[in-house]
Amino acid sequence: MLEVSKVRKSFGKTEVVKGVTFSVERGEAFGLLGPNGAGKSTTISMICGLLPFNEGDITVDGYSVKNNPMEIKKRIGVVPQDIALYPTMSAMDNLLFWGKMYGLSRKNALNRAYEVLDIVGLRDRAKDKIETFSGGMKRRINIGAALMHRPQILIMDEPTVGIDPQSRNHILETVKQLNKEGMTIIYTSHYMEEVEFLCERIGIIDHGEVIAVGTKEDLINRLSGGTVIKMEIGHYNKSLVEELNTLPFVEKIVTKDDERELEIFVNSSHQALGELVSTAVKNNVEVSTIQVQEPNLETLFLQLTGRSLRD
Amino acid sequence: MKRIWAICSFEIKKLFIKPQSYLLMFGMPLLFTLLFGGIMGDSSTGKVTLAFIDQDHSMMSKSLYDTLQNNDLFLLKEMSHNEAATQIKDKKLIGLLEVSKGFENKFASEGQPMVTFKYSPDFTSNAMIDQIVSNAIAKMKIQSTASTVWSNYSKESWEKMYPVLDKEISTSTPSIQKVSITKNMKKQEMGNVSARSAGFSIMFVMIVMMSVTGVLLEARKTGVWYRLLSTPTSRLEVMGGYFLSFFLIGWIQFGVLMAASTLLFGVHWGNLLGVFILVTSLLLCVVGLGLFISGFVKTTEQQGAFGSVIITATCMLGGVYWPLDIVPSFMQKIAEFIPQTWAMRGFTELISRGGSVQDIVAPVSVLLAFSVVFLAIGITRVKYE
Ligand SMILES: Nc1ncnc2c1ncn2[C@@H]1O[C@H](COP(=O)(O)OP(=O)(O)OP(=O)(O)O)[C@@H](O)[C@H]1O
Ligand SMILES: [Mg+2]
Repeated sequence: MLEVSKVRKSFGKTEVVKGVTFSVERGEAFGLLGPNGAGKSTTISMICGLLPFNEGDITVDGYSVKNNPMEIKKRIGVVPQDIALYPTMSAMDNLLFWGKMYGLSRKNALNRAYEVLDIVGLRDRAKDKIETFSGGMKRRINIGAALMHRPQILIMDEPTVGIDPQSRNHILETVKQLNKEGMTIIYTSHYMEEVEFLCERIGIIDHGEVIAVGTKEDLINRLSGGTVIKMEIGHYNKSLVEELNTLPFVEKIVTKDDERELEIFVNSSHQALGELVSTAVKNNVEVSTIQVQEPNLETLFLQLTGRSLRD
Repeated sequence: MKRIWAICSFEIKKLFIKPQSYLLMFGMPLLFTLLFGGIMGDSSTGKVTLAFIDQDHSMMSKSLYDTLQNNDLFLLKEMSHNEAATQIKDKKLIGLLEVSKGFENKFASEGQPMVTFKYSPDFTSNAMIDQIVSNAIAKMKIQSTASTVWSNYSKESWEKMYPVLDKEISTSTPSIQKVSITKNMKKQEMGNVSARSAGFSIMFVMIVMMSVTGVLLEARKTGVWYRLLSTPTSRLEVMGGYFLSFFLIGWIQFGVLMAASTLLFGVHWGNLLGVFILVTSLLLCVVGLGLFISGFVKTTEQQGAFGSVIITATCMLGGVYWPLDIVPSFMQKIAEFIPQTWAMRGFTELISRGGSVQDIVAPVSVLLAFSVVFLAIGITRVKYE
């Protein structure tokens, strides 16, 4: 359905997308997971034909963005990262307008607008101006506008940024439902949980490169048998971290939160817990909590890049 | 085409859904017209009065009196020297013009005919009156010279020819604009209100256009532009839709202002085709200016701020608030480079002189030239990515 192959894009001298390759099958939900500035939005703009690129190609249903951007635009609905709506107009007016821009007749647009309002659960607010909506409601209409023409592919660029958990759950459930009904979904986020919840296949992107692609299981299996142990300590102590680093099973230590929280990558957790605690005690550092983390994508990202998805 | 219309009608709806748009588009210009049109008054009540003291009692002094009476700055009242002196003292008159004995003879001989002009010190338009009197005398001098030449050939007295020439010249040549404007008494009465009406319509159409062209900046900021281009809508259709909306909004505004000023102030806008062409070229120019400014600023707020300053300043220079004949000549020179001056000239042609399309070729061409420059720079500066 969608093929992105060896796409490169530079802004001036800086290359921000460095040969990205991935493909998405019909009916699949594909997640693009990466930290701020990884190149997610840039990649999406290129898929939608909004941004010319230097090398590589992108095809949807066999149509290339370079030669047939209009054919692609008809097939996809984009939910931009920003709320691209007219604030002084009602939700209904906005949906009708975007419906017409996708080529619907007035009558079809009107019928579809009511369906879409049902999907996003805002039918009772149809006549209200967007500027009177809460952040979460705006986000929902923002998604609704991309659904007006029943796109084959729905591309969502961080559709849950800055909203409350309730709205976020509503959105995730909606997207999951759309996917069940057969819509192909491409979902970008830097929230691992969202991508894990929605997507069968996931691409991890960092610094303009896809550093891993596969199903969640595939990806977790790639973790070199390692586990992450989170240890919260009373105070930071440099010599403790140094000593921990010399332990044979410790692969890497990442510190965060005033450096009182240590994330310690270990290749086997069997004797690790005991040794870590005793090393801390030996250094006169109090351990307030210690826990073994289920391996997840965050762990994988940490292992691959040495950084966490969000700071 | 469907999409162009969808964008255009949506933009229009977006504007008219806001109550404050009506105030800005229609309320303010009509209010300003009422205020400025009323304060400056129509030309007969706004005139000052001067005494005319005729010591010569000749054909030429009579001719001077008639010529001078024909202006829209002052009224002349014939009276004796003593009468004038008391009235000036009582502040009933602002000054006097005295034609001394031998005035006519000076025309026949080589001498310079003189008129004495005395005015009270608080009178500020003296330079203009000076000018008008000098012009009148110069004109009479030319006529009398012509008559003398004629009399040398025909052997008849030059005094016979002079009145004929005088009549010919003042009816046939609109050489001095003021003379021809004031020829038709009915239209002359409406001069100031019409001019302010046209002026404030121009100004507020410009202000509205400035905020309307700002939608391009806003669309890019909010991401609406991004989304528009992600739909199967071509860049050309998007621009077409926006441009059509600019022109329709401008036309709706101008049309309503024309209708309202006709009803409220009795303004006659003249040849409708002429008005249509003139306003369209003005709109093109203003849309160009709007895009030009948005090519240099980052936000709609900046666009609004720059726009207002530029519009207000150029409207002052362009004779929108007051007639250009009352400003110093260097400012009249600057005015040649202001689009509003040309728009006002076009309207003067249409409203006051009953001009037709041929008569506004010059102002329309100049406005179109401004448009080309603004649009060319504006469109290359605005980024549509
Ligand atoms: N128009 C542009 N000009 C120059 N650089 C740009 C432009 N757009 C994006 N970039 C750069 O490209 C890189 C990738 O940006 P992009 O917006 O694709 O990241 P992202 O993964 O979407 O991040 P976020 O999670 O913050 O939205 C960033 O370093 C950014 O600074
Ligand atoms: Mg982004």
